[in-house]
Formats: sequence, structure tokens, C-alpha cells
Amino acid sequence: MNSLNVQRLRKDFPILKKKVNGHNLIYFDSAATSQKPKQVIDGIKYFYENLNSNPLRSIHYLAERATEAYSDARDKVAKFINAAPEEIVFVRNTTEAINLLSFALPLAKDDIVATTYLEHHSNLLPWFNLRNKGVMVEIVDVDKNMDLDLSYYEDMSEKTKLVTLSHESNVSGTINDAKKISRIAHKKGAMVLVDAAQSVPHLPVDVKELDVDFLAFSGHKMLGPFGIGVLYVRKSISNQLSNFLSGGEMIKSVRLNDVVYADLPNRFEAGTQNIEGAYGLGLAIDYLNAIGMRNVEKYGHALALELFEKMGQIKGLEIYGGKSRNFGAIAAFNVKGLHSHDVAYFLDKKGIAIRSGFHCAQPFVEDKLRVNGACRASLYLYNTSHEIDTFCGELKKIVNTYGRG
Amino acid sequence: MDEDKVYEFLDLYRNPEQFGKPKDFDVEEEGFSESCGDNFTVYLKFDGDSIRDVHFEGSGCIISTVSISKLCSALRGRRRSSVPKMGIDDVKKLLGVKTISMSRARCATVGLDAIKLAVEKTGDE
Repeated sequence: MNSLNVQRLRKDFPILKKKVNGHNLIYFDSAATSQKPKQVIDGIKYFYENLNSNPLRSIHYLAERATEAYSDARDKVAKFINAAPEEIVFVRNTTEAINLLSFALPLAKDDIVATTYLEHHSNLLPWFNLRNKGVMVEIVDVDKNMDLDLSYYEDMSEKTKLVTLSHESNVSGTINDAKKISRIAHKKGAMVLVDAAQSVPHLPVDVKELDVDFLAFSGHKMLGPFGIGVLYVRKSISNQLSNFLSGGEMIKSVRLNDVVYADLPNRFEAGTQNIEGAYGLGLAIDYLNAIGMRNVEKYGHALALELFEKMGQIKGLEIYGGKSRNFGAIAAFNVKGLHSHDVAYFLDKKGIAIRSGFHCAQPFVEDKLRVNGACRASLYLYNTSHEIDTFCGELKKIVNTYGRG
Repeated sequence: MDEDKVYEFLDLYRNPEQFGKPKDFDVEEEGFSESCGDNFTVYLKFDGDSIRDVHFEGSGCIISTVSISKLCSALRGRRRSSVPKMGIDDVKKLLGVKTISMSRARCATVGLDAIKLAVEKTGDE
């Protein structure tokens, strides 16, 4: 695992020095949100001390600097996923990006939206909401390894207008073949949206290579601040979209009976934006680029293999991930005989932070894992082999003391 | 840290009191916690103004299961009018703890909320 120098980069994350309940913090909850390096934390302070102003409006010195900062951030995001800057719409988070599309896409009665069993609620509910105007929602199934049933796409109806899927599941860790699915969907005339909230932080993502029409992700899961997210919109189809929020800066000209709207991306960025967030996200991207996304991916893959291998040796655990063709360092599991919250509580006493419950993917957890909640350990570039050992050791103690394996 | 005490209740969690669907009951109500996946059903049998018996079934974490089990035991024979006034402090008293963290408050009250709904549903008789 020497694709990156983990001991050196850990020094950039002040929170990792914290003691929690008397123990060194082991943060295994990065799928919920990542920790932030000091480059991002200090950068946000720098923004408010040196650049703060409302961009795109006033023409004074600070406004110019803020506009530059906002525009540079957009350029960085665009380059990061191989898009054009005007194809990058800043939003609050992945949820807002998907909701925006659910309002903006020209979906009508009898059109089909194909989403999947692996989705977060945010890639289910916005589409369920369209049922009241007659849009039909179909759910692509998964097999026992938590891989998507690709035959669905081969056989899907011509009425399918949108295929939407997560690039990486936030529960099973399955990494879907978005490129292949996109190719099939386009052949059938459907548009493709990829929820990349769990993939963009962990692997190189290239929208041209994946050939998708829309891609959504959140800044806070990729070392950036909360409240900033991205919706990539393929420029050639942007004219098919209706407006979402209306107000300042999304127009070219407003007369009382004649409004001319702005082009992409401004048309979807009504009102004063989260400039601090965009700036911070740009710094997070600088940080990831300095390591190199190939290295981040390699290191994450090595962590995932080690995590599943070591957890696999603990009797009394049910492990739900690590079986699909391709997967990330997200391990959903239960201790037999214990509720996930109780396991999370016992681990917290040892300074280990994991997630428990439904992970905002209740249909998947209930119908596919067939449990009423699961624990989830999710790792990122600052986690170590040594932490995996400590985690597995504590898990073993919980199994022996309280489990019923 | 007070919550540690709750984990003394592991035996009650494994073999809860008042568990199982009774043959004879007047009303049933579900208690569900979205974030946890706790899912319980409570069954109440009344005797005029008082609660003759309360049972529950379903599953959840230690805190939710022990809370609902202890509530069911404690409410037997109590006046139904005492239920709507109950809150998390009453659950804490039953558990013998002073505090319950914000993230676990819902666990402690999922059972109580279901029992309250059941009493409300049957109205004043």
C-alpha cells in the first residue's frame, strides 16, 4: 500500500489527532462525510479575510477577486471530471442536483425513469414524486453479489427516457459499470444520470469516457466543505431542460413581460451562491490532484481488500459487501444477535466512528440485505492498515462479549 | 456515559418481558424509527379506565427494546389518562439513567410513542 504516503498526509488532517473517549480517533465514516485537510480549512479562512464579496455583480476590487475565485473553482471542477466549465452547475449537494433534474427534465405521462435497488433515497424519491404526473419509475434489480442486472438495460422499453444509477453504492460498495450501462441506454434513446457522490472522491471520473449526460456529486465527501455540490450537464442537451429556481443571476434581461434567461451554467444558479464552498472545493481538488486520483484509487482498493479479508476472518459477523465485480472500501455488516446501533455505540467507546442504521437506502437494506439496519465502515485515503487491525480487534471483542454468533 | 448502564440490560434485551402478540387485545399500534430500523408493534388491553395489559413484538436496538419492555411492564394496571403525559424523562426513570444522548433519544421513545398513539386512538370511553 505505497501508492501514497499515508503517514505524511495524515498530518494534514487536524481532526485525526483527536482523542475520542480516551482513544485515538479512528474515522471509518467517510461515506457519510470525509474529514478535511488544513489546506481546505485554512483556505476558507483566507477567503473571508482576503476575497470575500458577492461575485458576478459589483465591479469593485473585491467583487472582481471573488468572481475570479468562483470561476477558478468551476474550472478546477471541470478539469477534474474532464468537462467544460460551462457544464458545471454548482448546487448544495448531490440531493439538490438530482432534485434539480427531476424538475428540469422534460418527463411526461407514461415516460419511464429507470433507477436501481442500490440507490440512496435521494435517487429514488425525486423520481417517485414524478409519479403524480404519470411518470413511471422502474427499479433495476441486483443479484446476490449486489451487482446490477444488466439485462434490464438490454431489454428496456423505448419509453425509458432516463436511466439513473449510482456509480458506487453507499451501502454495498458496488462500483457499477456506468460506461457500459450508458452505452446501452443511449442506444435505446434514454438519457443517463450518474450519482457519483461515492465515486468522484475515490477514483478518477471522466464524463467523456463514461459518456453520461448528467453526473452529480458532493464536495463534503471529497475533502471539501459542506453545502457545495456539482451537477455536470452535457452542454448539447442543456436546451432540453426547464428552469429550476428563478431569481438573480440566472437571466440575461428582465422586462415585465419579456425575460431572457442566461445560458448554462448560470441559468441553474439563481441567487447568491456558496462562493466559500466552491472555493473550498477547488482547494480540495488541488489536494487530491497533488496526490493523484490514480493513487487515491489504488490505495482505496488495497484498503478495501484488506478490510474485507480481515473482517472475513471474524466469526459471528454477517458481511454484505465485497462480493460484486468491483467494489470500494465500504463494508456493510452486522454482528449476529446485535442491532447495528449498539455495535456502533460499543465501537464509539473505543474511539471508532462508523455509521449504523439504514444509510438512507431503506429499500435496499430491507429487501436485499433483509435486515432492519446494518453497520457500515467506510474508509478513505487517510485510513491505515493499523486502523483496520484495531477495528477488527475491537469488533472481535464485541462479538465475543455481546454477540450471538 | 450514563447510557452505559443501559447495557446492563443485555439479558432483558435477549429475553424481554411482555414480549409476543397476546390472544386478546383491544388495540394495536406500530412504532417505527426510520433512521434506526427499529420496528415494533404494541398491543393494549383495557379494563375501563385502566390498562389491563400491554405487550409488544418486533425488534430494535438494546435501548429501544429494553425501554419498550420496561414500559409495558410498568404500565400494567396504570390509568390510561397517565399515558399522554409521559415523556422521555419517564423512560429514563424506568431505565435508571440520568441522560440519553441526542442520537439515542428516538430509540428510547419509539415504544412510548406507539403506546401513546394506541391510547389516543381508542379515545375517551
